Amino acid sequence: MFMRYKFMLIMRGIWFVSQVALFGLVVGKMVEAAATAAGINYFQYYVAGVTIITLYSTSMFIGYDIFEEAEHGVFEYLLTLPVSRRELVLGRSIGGGLRSFIYVGPLLIIVLMLLGLSNPLHFLVALSGLFLFAFGVSGMSITIAVAMKSGDKYDILIGVLDALIVRLSTTMYPTIYLQQAMPAYATIANFNPLTYASDLFRWGTGVEGTLQFTPLIGLLALFVFFFSFTFVGVVFYERRLEGGSWQ
Amino acid sequence: MSSKPIIQTFDLSKKFGKLNAVDQLNLSIEEGEIFGLLGPNGAGKTTVILMLTTVIRPTEGTATVAGFDVKKSPNKAREMIGVCFQEPKLLWVSTPWDVLNWHAKVCGLSNEERKKRVKWALEEVDMWDDRRKTVHALSGGMKKRIEISKILIQRPKIAIVDEPTAQIDVVGKHRIWNLLRDLRKEGSTIILATNELQEADVLSDRVAIMHKGKLIVCDTPKKLKDSIPGGDIMEVHLEKEAPKKVLTELEEFKEIATVKETASNILRLYLNQVEAVTPKIMKVFYDHDLPIASLHMSEPSLDDVFAHFTGLSLEEAQEEV
Repeated sequence: MFMRYKFMLIMRGIWFVSQVALFGLVVGKMVEAAATAAGINYFQYYVAGVTIITLYSTSMFIGYDIFEEAEHGVFEYLLTLPVSRRELVLGRSIGGGLRSFIYVGPLLIIVLMLLGLSNPLHFLVALSGLFLFAFGVSGMSITIAVAMKSGDKYDILIGVLDALIVRLSTTMYPTIYLQQAMPAYATIANFNPLTYASDLFRWGTGVEGTLQFTPLIGLLALFVFFFSFTFVGVVFYERRLEGGSWQ
Repeated sequence: MSSKPIIQTFDLSKKFGKLNAVDQLNLSIEEGEIFGLLGPNGAGKTTVILMLTTVIRPTEGTATVAGFDVKKSPNKAREMIGVCFQEPKLLWVSTPWDVLNWHAKVCGLSNEERKKRVKWALEEVDMWDDRRKTVHALSGGMKKRIEISKILIQRPKIAIVDEPTAQIDVVGKHRIWNLLRDLRKEGSTIILATNELQEADVLSDRVAIMHKGKLIVCDTPKKLKDSIPGGDIMEVHLEKEAPKKVLTELEEFKEIATVKETASNILRLYLNQVEAVTPKIMKVFYDHDLPIASLHMSEPSLDDVFAHFTGLSLEEAQEEV
């Protein structure tokens, strides 16, 4: 079951390696002077951000499952099972999040080798935040998939969302540069779960000079994100599905 | 069998756009019975099942499942039901063992009980040797047997089986019929949705016939068959097409309840007093120089019941949808 997305995973892996070994290195060199002046090792900053982007995109895979299930009729079967819709969505989003961790696990080990692990406790706190983040993204993916009637539309929407949510976050650049480009970008980034996840991960792995929020605020923000998309998603899921409009 | 209703529907209706998939259905299904839900594809059977299992919400009306309203208490209603779908719902790349083990787990069976029941069910449907094959490698009939195993493992209070023997060979069919009878003996109420009328006739205590989303009639198969005027059926295959006046002459006999032309040279006659009327019928054909190729006598079937109440054969009704 886990290896159903073998092709996508291999491509994601290649994407990750090229982002780190090519783009990260080259851009790191390019902005080295400015970043060092701001107290940032851009390569490390970027590697941590790309890890979060990968975690985000693999957590979104669960939405494709929804369409595949609908296509195979498995959706109807799942809906007849003697479990509540709440348990079903919660199970799916937690399952989707855990699965993405299994996918990203090997990359995470490479990243830890690149960044080092200065404080294991910090890392564990950050990791718990990343779990919340992955569960939340899976819940968001399920909510969007249920709301869309076509797999193609979902695919396009996810592509656009991916471009917006990644670029309007601090995964690839610190807030200060977003602020300089356009203040509204920085404001939006402050409400973006990817910002909290990547900042927390950088804190957990000891990438210095970049923390915008305290780890506690980061954790709380990710909890709110997880809670919203899991539990609000359940309500949406129930209304949408039991009306039969997904058929 | 007790006469306590376990499922009741009250003006149950479902619209998809302008289409009335189910139109004000009022049914009462008794605890412990095998209840046949009959009709051609598109009659509304599957929509009824989806509403009873709370997969889709009724547009109007409601239903109770073991006393739980499907609109107000969908979770409780769903706990009472197990479904064997018409199209097997298997998880993509799993094996039969994995599919059933997962199903048993979700249904809350303990580890030990789960293993026992999955093994038993796989043996009963003759799939034990194929338990480790991926589901992609299975034939349609094998997949169907896995699907039916789900309710055998679950043993729900209400088992809904949609075309349980589709794609299954004759031997397998009888085996599944016996398993369904055993399931009923263990206390399950069984709703059998099918368009195989012979299957419904053999298995069901009562049947409801649906057509275009409406309930046409509901009773025991025997009473339904007895309700057709003309208890015996004579099917006459002629060597050439019968002219209209032959049909008119036949219709004038008081012993002939109905004359139906099922094909250009095949007549189906529903008779009240077969012994008295047979010589008269033969004379009509002789007088009009209509040689008989073959002649068959039979009792009415549920196909005839369907034709009697809808004016259409099952095939014709199917084509109408």
